[in-house]
Amino acid sequence: MERLKKILKMPGATSININSSQPLRATGDSLAVRTLLISATLVFFLLFLFFPLVVVFEGAFSKGGAAFLETFRDPYTRHSIVLTLLIAAISVPLNTVFGIAAAWCVTRYRFRGRSFLITLIDLPLWVSPVIAGLLYVLVFGAQGWFGPWLREHEIRIIFAVPGMVLATIFVTFPFVARGLIPLMQAQGMKEEEAALTLGANGWQILWRITLPKIKWGLLYGIILCNARAMGEFGAVSVVSGHIRGKTNTMPLHIEILYNEYQFASAFAVASVLGLLAIITLILKTRAEWRAEQELRASSFSTAP
Amino acid sequence: MSIAIQNITKRFGLHPALREVSLDIREGELIALLGPSGSGKTTLLRVIAGLEFADARDGRIFFHGRDVTDLSAYQRKAGFVFQHYALFNHMNVYENIAFSFRVLPRSKRPPESAIRERVTELLRAVQLEGYEKRLPTQLSGGQRQRVAFARALANRPEVLLLDEPFGALDAKVRKDLRRWLREFHDLMRLTTIFVTHDQDEAFEVADRVILIDKGTIQQSGTPTEVRNNPANSFVAEFLGLTEKHDPLAKSECQ
Amino acid sequence: MRRRHILPGFGLSLGYTLLYMGLIVLIPMSALAMRIFSGSWEHFWQTVTDPRVVASYRVSFGLSFLAALLNGVFGVMAAWVLARYRFPGRRILDAMVDLPFALPTAVAGIALTAIYAPNDWIGALLEPHGIRIAFTQIGIFIALTFIGFPFVVRTVQPVILQLSAELEEAAACLGANRWQTFRRVIFPALLPSILTGVTLAYGRAVGEFGSVVFIAGNIPFETEITPLLIISKLEQYDYSGAAALGFVMLCASLVILLISNGLQAWNNSRNGTA
Repeated sequence: MERLKKILKMPGATSININSSQPLRATGDSLAVRTLLISATLVFFLLFLFFPLVVVFEGAFSKGGAAFLETFRDPYTRHSIVLTLLIAAISVPLNTVFGIAAAWCVTRYRFRGRSFLITLIDLPLWVSPVIAGLLYVLVFGAQGWFGPWLREHEIRIIFAVPGMVLATIFVTFPFVARGLIPLMQAQGMKEEEAALTLGANGWQILWRITLPKIKWGLLYGIILCNARAMGEFGAVSVVSGHIRGKTNTMPLHIEILYNEYQFASAFAVASVLGLLAIITLILKTRAEWRAEQELRASSFSTAP
Repeated sequence: MSIAIQNITKRFGLHPALREVSLDIREGELIALLGPSGSGKTTLLRVIAGLEFADARDGRIFFHGRDVTDLSAYQRKAGFVFQHYALFNHMNVYENIAFSFRVLPRSKRPPESAIRERVTELLRAVQLEGYEKRLPTQLSGGQRQRVAFARALANRPEVLLLDEPFGALDAKVRKDLRRWLREFHDLMRLTTIFVTHDQDEAFEVADRVILIDKGTIQQSGTPTEVRNNPANSFVAEFLGLTEKHDPLAKSECQ
Repeated sequence: MRRRHILPGFGLSLGYTLLYMGLIVLIPMSALAMRIFSGSWEHFWQTVTDPRVVASYRVSFGLSFLAALLNGVFGVMAAWVLARYRFPGRRILDAMVDLPFALPTAVAGIALTAIYAPNDWIGALLEPHGIRIAFTQIGIFIALTFIGFPFVVRTVQPVILQLSAELEEAAACLGANRWQTFRRVIFPALLPSILTGVTLAYGRAVGEFGSVVFIAGNIPFETEITPLLIISKLEQYDYSGAAALGFVMLCASLVILLISNGLQAWNNSRNGTA
C-alpha cells in the first residue's frame, strides 16, 4: 500500500489523493491552536478564492439582468462561445486518445528513455502559454518555417482557427495522461496479464479490462483538460490575431470587452466561465473520489 | 500435454533468476515447483506461461513437441491462476469465467447457450453454483480463488499453471483447496504445475516435486524419493532433514 | 524473433505517443531553436539584456519567487487544516483549493483587477490611505499568489495525511510539547514536499500571463512581465527578438523543472516508503 501512495503523489492540482478518508487522530493540537489556524485559513480562502468569484458574478449583474442577457445576444459574443466549444471539442478528444496511448505505453512497459518521456509529457505545464503560442507562430507564421508555403496555398493557420486548436492542444495534452499514469501504475498489470493468458489480444485487453478499470481517472483527466482548453488565454491570444467574429474565444472576447470598458458585459461572459469552473470543481471532486475507490477495490483483490 | 524446457536463462538486470534450467514434464503430471523466495520458481512458471520471455540464448520451450518459445501468452493457451486471483473486478463471476470465450474470434466462438452450459458446469466443479451474478468484491478469498480456477479452465487449456495459489488464504481454506486440487487432478488428468514455498503442500499434492534454489534445479523426484534421498545439502536443509539441532529449522517429526 | 514485451501494443502506443509529441512539441521547439541559432548573436544578446527586458525579468522571476514563498506559508497552513481537522464546510474548502487551477486565467485577471482597482472593493478601501494595489507590483504579487496556491497545498496535503501518528506520539512520550514536536519532527518530514510545492508554484507563476496582464497595468520598467514583452515583439514582427526571449524563458523553465524533479525524487524517497 505504501508503494501505491508514493506513486500517486503527483504534484500540482492533478493528484489523486488516496488518503482522504484517513481517520482523525485522537491526540493533536490544542483547541486554541486549531481555532486560530482554521479561522486564518477560512479568512485566507474567503479573501483569496471566494471573493474573486463573487466579484465576477456581481459584476455580471451590476447593470441588471436585462443587460446581462443583452450581452449574449451580441453576435460576436455568440461566436466566441461557439468557437470556444469548437476548439474544446477538437482538442479534448485528441488529447484523450493521446493520454490513453501515452499512459499505456509508459506504465505497461519498461524501456530506455521512459522517464524522459514522462518528463516531456509534463512540459507544457512548465512553459508559459505565451511561449506555446510563440512556437506555433515561428512554425506557421508569416516569417515562420512554413510561412511562405502556406501563403502560396492560401492556408491560414496563424490568425485562424487551426492555429488556435494547435496551441490549445499543446497547452492541454498533459492532463489526461497525468491523470492516468499514477492510477494505471498503482493498479498494476495483473488483470491484463490474466486476460492475456485467457486469450485476449491487445485491443480486447484495452477495451474490456483496462478502460473499465480506469474510467474515473480518465473522466477526471478529461474534465481538467476541458476546463483548461476552454479557458486558455495566453497561448491562444498570441496565435489568434484577435479578429472579432472570426478568431475570438470567450477568454479573448472578455479581454476585448474589458479593454473597451464594457465591464458588465465582460463580467457577464466571465461569469459563464466562472460557472464552468465551479462545475468543473464539483465533477472533478466526484471523479477523484470514485477513482480512489476504484483503486482501493482493485488493490484488495490484486495487490502483490 | 507434455512440456519440455531446455536451457532457459533469465536475468533481471544483473540478477540471474534462472540459470540454464532444463526440465521434462510428462503428460498428466501434477508437478510442484518448491523453493525459498527468490529461488526463481515463479519466474520459471511465468516463462512457461509466456508472461516473461527468457533471455535470448539457446533456451527453448516445447508444448507437446511444438516449439512455443516465441509465442506470446495468448497464443500459448496455458491456463494461469495468479496468487492474488487477478479477477476482473468490474465483471461478475459469470463474465469472469466466460471471458476466454468472449475474446475468441467470431468464427470460433461458441453460441451463448454453450457458454452458459460450460460456466455452470465449472461453477459446479468448484462448488460455487448460484454465484454467477456476484462481484469479486463480494466473495471471500477462497471463493475468489475458486472462481480464478474456473476461469482458467473454461476454455479447456492443455496445461494449468498455478502461482502460489493458496498463499493468500488461511490455513483451513488452504487445506480444503489442496484436497480439492488433488481430486480435481485425479479426475481430469490435466498437466499441472504449481509453485509453492510450503513443503507440506508440495508433498501432499504433487506427483513429482522439483526443488529450485538460486535459479537452478536442485532435485526432481517423487515426494518419497526426495525425502529419502536428498540430493544435496540445500535440499536436506530446506526440507528440515538435517541432524543439526537448529531451533530455527523446521522439525521433522516423522 | 524474440519479443521483449509481454502485453501487446508496445510499438503502436509508443509510436503514436512519439508521433503526437513530435508534431505538437518537438517540431515547434526545433523551430525556436533554429530561429535562435540562425540569427545573429548580437541581436540575441541585445534583446535579452535590454534594460526594459531586464526589468521584466525582475518582475516575472522576482515577484514569482516572493509569491511562491507566501504560498509556501499559507499553503502549508491550509494543507494542515484540511488534512488534520474536521469542521463544517471542510469539503467545500478542499474543493475550492483547485479554483485557481480550474478558473480561466482571464476571468481571474479581471476579477482580481476589479477587487484591487482604486475605485472598487478593497482598492477603494485602501486608496484614501495612499495604498495602491492594482497596476503596481503588489497587484502582480497577489495575482501570482492566487495562481500558485493549489500547487503547494496539493503537494503537501498527501504527505501530512501519511505522517504516522506514532512519530508524534513518540515525541510526546519523550517530553516534547506540541510546538517542539512540530518543529523537530513534523516540519522536517514535510520539508521536501514543501520545497517541491513551492518550486511548482514558482514554475507556474513565472510563465503566468492571463491572470497578471490585467492587474499589472503593463507600465514599462515597472509592471511589465516577460511574456508580455514577447507578445509585443511579435506584434512588431521582431520574430528573432521574441524567439530570443522565449528561449530565455524556456531555459529558465527547464532549470526550474530539473530542480523540481530533483526535489520530487527527494520527496518520494523520504515519504514514499514507510
